[in-house]
Amino acid sequence: MSDLKTAFAAIVGESNVITGDFAAYANDWRKKYFGKPLLVVKPGTVEEVAALVKLCAETKTPIVPQAGNTGLVGGGVPDESGTEVIISVARMTKVLEVDTINNTMTVEAGCILQTLQETAAEHDRLFPLSLAAEGSCRIGGNISTNAGGVQVLRYGNTRELVMGLEVVLPSGEIWNGLRGLRKDNTGYDLKHLFIGAEGTLGIITKAVLKLFPAPRSTQTVFIGLESPQKAMDLLGFMKGALGDRITAFELISDFGLSLVTKYFPQLKAPLPPAFPWFVLSDIADSRDAAALTADVEAALGEAIEQGIILDCAIAKNETEGNRMWELRENMTESQVHEGRSIKHDVSIPISKIADFIKAADAALEKAYPGVRPITFGHVGDGNLHYNVAHPLASFTEPNWTKELDRVNLIVHDATAQFNGSISAEHGIGQLKREEIKRYKSALELQVMKNIKAAIDPQNIMNPGKVI
Amino acid sequence: MKILVPVKRVVDYNVKVRVKADQTGVETANVKMSMNPFDEIAVEEAVRLKEAGIATEVIAVSCGLLSCQETLRTALAIGADRAILVETDVELQPLAVAKLLAAVFKKESPDLVILGKQAIDDDSNQTGQMLGALLGRPQATFASKVVIEGGAAQVTREVDGGLETIKITLPAIVTTDLRLNEPRYVTLPNIMKAKKKPLENVKPADLGVDVTPRLKTLKVTEPPKRSAGVKVPDVATLVAKLKNEAKVI
Repeated sequence: MSDLKTAFAAIVGESNVITGDFAAYANDWRKKYFGKPLLVVKPGTVEEVAALVKLCAETKTPIVPQAGNTGLVGGGVPDESGTEVIISVARMTKVLEVDTINNTMTVEAGCILQTLQETAAEHDRLFPLSLAAEGSCRIGGNISTNAGGVQVLRYGNTRELVMGLEVVLPSGEIWNGLRGLRKDNTGYDLKHLFIGAEGTLGIITKAVLKLFPAPRSTQTVFIGLESPQKAMDLLGFMKGALGDRITAFELISDFGLSLVTKYFPQLKAPLPPAFPWFVLSDIADSRDAAALTADVEAALGEAIEQGIILDCAIAKNETEGNRMWELRENMTESQVHEGRSIKHDVSIPISKIADFIKAADAALEKAYPGVRPITFGHVGDGNLHYNVAHPLASFTEPNWTKELDRVNLIVHDATAQFNGSISAEHGIGQLKREEIKRYKSALELQVMKNIKAAIDPQNIMNPGKVI
Repeated sequence: MKILVPVKRVVDYNVKVRVKADQTGVETANVKMSMNPFDEIAVEEAVRLKEAGIATEVIAVSCGLLSCQETLRTALAIGADRAILVETDVELQPLAVAKLLAAVFKKESPDLVILGKQAIDDDSNQTGQMLGALLGRPQATFASKVVIEGGAAQVTREVDGGLETIKITLPAIVTTDLRLNEPRYVTLPNIMKAKKKPLENVKPADLGVDVTPRLKTLKVTEPPKRSAGVKVPDVATLVAKLKNEAKVI
């Protein structure tokens, strides 16, 4: 180890090799995994990353690439063997170029997501990736996990926002694919291999990201309706009436909302609790705010008349819009206060979401009478956070966590029944590595293994993750 | 009892205000505008008094550009009964607004005027007080509680170091503070109803008021930018810097 440490220090400098107090790097954000790395190294340039990886390849030292360490499936933390080296890109935080004509920015992998949003805003542009961890997650990790977030409906996942990459391969070679091209049909599009690979194929060091015109105004609305089916009808209706200006469309069940108002009494529900389901939606435009509000009022007025929705609160200023979003953002925490629920991050073809909720609710009720599903999520893009709280009569919170595997199986089988995915946006990491085998075909898994073997024949790049 | 509620259209509280390149004011083109939050509290209070059966009519009034109609529609959606726009494209200063409101007051003879203690754009905190003086009527500023009894209003005021409760004879002027109430969300059916409520348009000349500005804005500039922080190697350097450069210890 001391040889390796000396060699690493020669590349990145003594102060950028960490040999003790690994907590910030070795433990995951959810406190599920407590890894033991050999060392943590923090390179400052792509050349340093390449030199480190070359050394690891020569010594067959396994590497865990890491960015902001905010992942939810244990993909960015080492195992407990004490043999893995964490290569953190946290020092690589330069924005190299903002091109407002090509509408792109070229950045290093360690840039904090929020910094990139602010950089884009300073140039009167939008970088649309937005998620709860944006103040601490780093773009390299966002790309490696193909992060989703709240604006996928309009702008797509991270995959749609990346135009080019620079990657250090497991051999230590640097692949420069930093192209800012919107059209480039020249063979296999390699960048897509590394996006969402969770660091198993190489270390992303730089990226060319897409920018968009900055929206001038956002109208937030909070809608009461009868059923998930009506919510899907509303989504179709709003897409017709408002086009691609809908940036967020979140479904919230009355039970989910009641938990938020129970544990956060300062947050007022915008509508009376008389409705069984709610939709929280943002509509954004680069035009004048008053015109946008008028369009939204006209569209939703028509939706009331057609019987698609029951009632609707329209934020009369941005403060109210933010308060509506606070309800949504505190859903996860309110569930912690109520007793830990069993969580799922599934995606379903949008037209089947209502059927899925019905099927999953029924299957769970049969297995656990009185079970309390907390259904919410970015249904505009098919993503549902289907969490399950324990039945009050027959279970306590500690007993309930023991049912994790069985509840997962019921929900994920229902997901598979509707051709859904058991990990919509959080990835596979260590958490779902075994489970994924049940839902992906043997052929698909074999092709993934072949790709991994071709690029990382020594299996030193984030071993034990994804496959 | 009739209540008059003046409301002002301002740049939304959450918008980062930018100074115009020529330093004559702040950028309002293509910027989200909303009702001044203190005025929203005033509308809410008036509508609650009506819902409690104390007030019989709530009239919202705004002075300024034609686009102030949107702000009046918001007041109508919260629950005001009708609205008056005093339309002008002249830059309005507190004294001119107070004179316009005094003229509307004389026309409508309300028993109570409730308005925000200040507007979040110019922070003048003058209009309510000037209106009271022009009309020669009692005023209670910074209200956190309003109780109407007989021909008087008992108003709790937020003053330095505590609360002060005073009783004033109606008709009177009350300006609202933040803790008076929490305004309601407006729902779509109420917005639809608001579109059918009467909105009258008058000009300053109709009211016989000269709104020519009396104050001249010389220059509007951004506050100085916060300079970047520095890292110090050890505690001794920090202490030395706090002592010699910042001079705080």
